[in-house]
Amino acid sequence: MTSRELVVASLELRGPGRVPRQLWTLPWAQWTWPRELAGIARRFPDDIVTCPAFLREPLRTSGQEYEPGLFVDEWGCRFENKQRGIIGQVKDPVLRSWAGLDGVRVPRERLSVDTDQVNRFCEAAEAFVLAKTWSHPFELVQFLRGPETLYMDLAERPAGLDRLLEKVHAFYLEEMALWASTDVDALVFADDWGGQGSLLIAPALWRELFKPLYRDYVQLAHRHGKYAFMHSDGHIEAILPDLVEIGLDALNAQLFTMDIEAIGTRFAGRLTFWGEVDRQHLLPYGTPAEVRAAVRTVRRALWRQGGVIAQCEFGIGARPENVAAVFEAWDESTPLRRDIIER
Amino acid sequence: MLKKMQDALIAGKKAEVETLVDQALAAGMPAGTILNEGLIPGMERLGVQFKANEVFIPEVLVAARAMNAGLAKLEPHLAKAGIKPRGVVVIGTVKGDLHDIGKNLVAMMLRGNGYKIVDLGVDVAPEKYLEAAKANQASVIALSALLTTTMVQMKTVVEAVEKAGLKVPIVIGGAPVTKDYADQIHASGYAPDAASAVEEIGRLIAA
Repeated sequence: MTSRELVVASLELRGPGRVPRQLWTLPWAQWTWPRELAGIARRFPDDIVTCPAFLREPLRTSGQEYEPGLFVDEWGCRFENKQRGIIGQVKDPVLRSWAGLDGVRVPRERLSVDTDQVNRFCEAAEAFVLAKTWSHPFELVQFLRGPETLYMDLAERPAGLDRLLEKVHAFYLEEMALWASTDVDALVFADDWGGQGSLLIAPALWRELFKPLYRDYVQLAHRHGKYAFMHSDGHIEAILPDLVEIGLDALNAQLFTMDIEAIGTRFAGRLTFWGEVDRQHLLPYGTPAEVRAAVRTVRRALWRQGGVIAQCEFGIGARPENVAAVFEAWDESTPLRRDIIER
Repeated sequence: MLKKMQDALIAGKKAEVETLVDQALAAGMPAGTILNEGLIPGMERLGVQFKANEVFIPEVLVAARAMNAGLAKLEPHLAKAGIKPRGVVVIGTVKGDLHDIGKNLVAMMLRGNGYKIVDLGVDVAPEKYLEAAKANQASVIALSALLTTTMVQMKTVVEAVEKAGLKVPIVIGGAPVTKDYADQIHASGYAPDAASAVEEIGRLIAA
């Protein structure tokens, strides 16, 4: 099986020969553990890759996203950063007043994708290819308004909020439709919806304002024969039934903030879990043995002849031996024998 | 009227809270009664709802804004009546960390529960906590961090406070922080969320 076939087999519960895998790497890991990271990448090559954007027009940004100092993104959002290797925080939002809404600049240059190059990339790749979309409506409106102001907007529902969401969503739909016309395998969207123990906003409000946006993204992907992948940090158990209902194919979530066994009972086989392994505690502070035990927990709870992608993040503070242990533990179950899965 | 004030506070109705505080003061109700039987129980109820996942960050923020508006009306009267805050909390996000929404939520809920807050902001060096704690005769120092790499700064603050011989309890919180970590660095307390922080600080002050 090629990498792409492995991923598709897992998404469709057709019993891939091994669990497909993907390592996410923050710049911090590249700077701190270059040799170890290269070793992990050699031993456990990714089965999923993200296609470069191949833009004909450069994005209008300034500064370096992962360096200390000020970074201004293509929407004009200003991120202040103190630490190398992570993204900063918005301290000076561009949309302080709704009067400035029409002036929010939509980064049309993100639509200058060279689709021929994208298709050549996909043709050459053996791996499953994600589009360079990563639409994030909730985060983007936070960046534009400032997080606290946006949360108060969500409580008070000024007319400007709906207009802003419409503007952002219309752009994302246009961008996703463009990528859906290429040969990529999946479209991706992402928003961090959870705190440590609950959703950040009321589930009912999420269902009213944001679920329809994600439904649109999933439907757009499926209309074009693509899979829909989503990422969200935090405890998001409250909206898992909604994500299944709208037809999401794969979800990257912080499983270890939630009850993995309960999630398995309710959702295994109905949604593919695209990682992860606890990056807040286990990967930085745990031992390889603890990491292996965590992988066995995930496998037992969620694997149903597929439905899992062995993803983890080599992020800030993570130990390379623990990251390697994630993939070693998954490979220890290859071929995925029923008796191992059920142990 | 006090029950109505609590309901308006929980609903985040700032103008209504201001009006009700004005009306209560005009009716001759003591400022301490308005605070302790009107506004603070409202924030306490909100804290319970927040812990139970009945309200979320948006509702807490608008309620805190209404609380602050009510407090602003009351403060001159409280000062005149010699009513002191429950305690003084020096709060900040540790050095190297710019995340502040969690810290701000804790500060707002504490203020709403009758504490004086000295908010040092984000990226706060250990010596700043010390200086502020001494200058304000702090009852508690509260530390926030969102990153696994910056939470280690909490240990530095605990050590600096110990070294300075300051007998001020330190409570810590933030996404990667755990009770085990608090014990490991000898912090006095730990809170997993903003409502728990109010309870934990109340416990530390009462101890």
